[in-house]
Amino acid sequence: MTDFDAIVVGSGMSGGWSAKELCERGLKVLVLERGPEIKPERDYVDQLPPWEQKNLDRISQDEIEKHYFKQYPGVAYAVKESNKHFWVKDDEHPYETVEGTKYDWLRGYHTAGRSIMWSRQSYRMGPQDFTANKDEGIAIDWPVRYEEIKPWYDYVEEFVGVAGNRDGLEQLPDGIYQPGFELTDAEKLFKSKVESTFSGRNVIQARVAHLTDATDEQRDLGRTNCQARNRCHFGCAFKAYFSSLHATLPAAKRTGNMTIVHNAIVQTVEYDSEAKRVTGVRIIDALTKEPRFYSAQLVFLNASAIASAMILLQSKSEAFPNGLANTSDQVGRNLMDHVSGAGANGIIHGFETQKVFGRRPGGIYIPRYANITEKGKPYTRGFGYQGSASPMGNAGGQMAGIGREFKEAHRSPGPWRISIGAFGEQLPNPNNRVTLHPSKTDKWGNPVALFNVSYGENEHIMLEEARKDAVAMLEAAGCTNINSNPVNLTVPGNRIHEMGSARMGDNPSDSVLNKWCQTHDVPNLFVTDGAFMTSAACQNPSISYMAFTARACDHAVKLMQEKVI
Amino acid sequence: MKTRREVLKGLIVSIGGGSLLSSCGDIARVDNSVNGITKFYSEKESAWISKISDLLIPRTETPGAIDVNVPGFLDGLMAEWANAETKENHHRGVEKIQSQLGADYLILDEGNAISRLAELDAKAFKGRPREYTEYRSLKGLITQAYFASEDGALLEQKWMAVPGKWDPRVEI
Repeated sequence: MTDFDAIVVGSGMSGGWSAKELCERGLKVLVLERGPEIKPERDYVDQLPPWEQKNLDRISQDEIEKHYFKQYPGVAYAVKESNKHFWVKDDEHPYETVEGTKYDWLRGYHTAGRSIMWSRQSYRMGPQDFTANKDEGIAIDWPVRYEEIKPWYDYVEEFVGVAGNRDGLEQLPDGIYQPGFELTDAEKLFKSKVESTFSGRNVIQARVAHLTDATDEQRDLGRTNCQARNRCHFGCAFKAYFSSLHATLPAAKRTGNMTIVHNAIVQTVEYDSEAKRVTGVRIIDALTKEPRFYSAQLVFLNASAIASAMILLQSKSEAFPNGLANTSDQVGRNLMDHVSGAGANGIIHGFETQKVFGRRPGGIYIPRYANITEKGKPYTRGFGYQGSASPMGNAGGQMAGIGREFKEAHRSPGPWRISIGAFGEQLPNPNNRVTLHPSKTDKWGNPVALFNVSYGENEHIMLEEARKDAVAMLEAAGCTNINSNPVNLTVPGNRIHEMGSARMGDNPSDSVLNKWCQTHDVPNLFVTDGAFMTSAACQNPSISYMAFTARACDHAVKLMQEKVI
Repeated sequence: MKTRREVLKGLIVSIGGGSLLSSCGDIARVDNSVNGITKFYSEKESAWISKISDLLIPRTETPGAIDVNVPGFLDGLMAEWANAETKENHHRGVEKIQSQLGADYLILDEGNAISRLAELDAKAFKGRPREYTEYRSLKGLITQAYFASEDGALLEQKWMAVPGKWDPRVEI
């Protein structure tokens, strides 16, 4: 008899889905969260008006140097004085990089993890993404194809609530969408010019996980429509944006089957070599440092691609001396992210008498065209652009003038600026990996992560081309004052889309997971966070993590019912 | 609200050591400096910051920079947010702006003070030469502080906490 039917490690984007799906199928589920509990009524600061934000919401420079020396430079746009408690303190959660390399490991340790901090861009992977490795002879083939995942995308999108438009693009399949956020007229002009100048390129509404026409199911969970405040990085009292905190975890909780324990840092997953199954997890209490063991028939790792890999690597036994479920030696390898650092902005003309009302949570998206509708690129794979066109408005005082004229100039929307930035696919490379540091440990005695990740030639060439393409599209739209900085690739990890560290594949000798996110080596162990990704595609990946997680849960429960596991 | 003349009188008094910000209301928030007790600026610096703030963003039909205590806000910002290097640079920046405006600036009549500031501002933004970086930076801080104030946000910028909807096209 075990303590629980299933243990889910992590309460974030994928962990919330594991909890929901397993609980709704009748399993008694323990969710382990390494951080403290988030209570929206106490911890959200989305209702804070500008005049109650201390020091222009800037974290003091000394505090950044002491506590946020990785998090703040990584995502300064999101880490503020009022919401800094959503981000880990780097001095308390250290990691290392191999000399000559850099890595941004940007994290939130608390209920719902980074699902309360993400930017909610939600794009499906396309058919080409599942065949690219095979077609190009790179890494290993995905063991699934788009059509197998499609119904699970439908399933999760309906629950999540994604605002977007059905654009009919094969490479970026349409989903189940609520009404999107209409483009500004400047964006429509840009769309028209780009699409007429560059056949096969499209400018579409961003697809974002915000409610615009909440369903009964969503309203039953207390969720309401987006109020166009764009305070998403600070929480959402309206529960309009998707997070585990307001969607999947409450859905799990209402079944009566979920137990959630906070401040529980999982150290190892325990393996019974006779039964050839995992038996549970060992944790250390983050506050008391007390060790505990929880047993279960099924374990889902949803700690994030990096943390899940580290847990597996820490779980050594006679049967698995290199880490649990790691007979392929692929755990921790092929660590990928998306790569940015190329784009352009400029002034787009003809809209000086317009302004906008409200603050939408997304802008425009230019789906990948490289090596899809435009062949013969000097690189493989491709990139999408995210961006927007909006009035420059108050430029932080950076305009000429004094007195009444200067003061009242801020009432004007001013010229409109459009900016686009590329998100490119990083190729899988087994040498890009996270391992356990051989000697350094954190304050709980756990080995710290040691990263060795670098971009390859393809990423460098691709981003140079992305910069040129961005300028060309702005020129086609008649933009002036076009600014495009030299390409400066983002630090690996900086896009916060880490993935690939326990890839799926058909062959147990070169992959960790099978097509169901189930480890080849241990039948009752699943990994359904970004670790399963066999390649990165270029789309923001969270909705894919959700779809694969829901599918894996369905499969796992069927296996349990059939007494296979 | 006091009249603008009363506010400015407070400024002039401050040059002689009087209470610089005694005429300010209690609009400003957080840990701003109020009632002339500064944590970062010297009295002389405060007088300069106040003068420049007032002329950049004067009281019109809506409150101005002095009314919402922008100088006190910047004093608190520099005391609490800035590290030692930034503090030192800011002191030097204010000193440089003083030299660019002239030692007699604070005792100029209003018309001449406006003319001289306008002249400096024009130089600073025509091609954005490096020698006026400090002025542009201070102007940016004053502007951000003003529009982050309750009156600046609500009365001048018509900021709304909960717009409730997105409209991509509003003709003005």
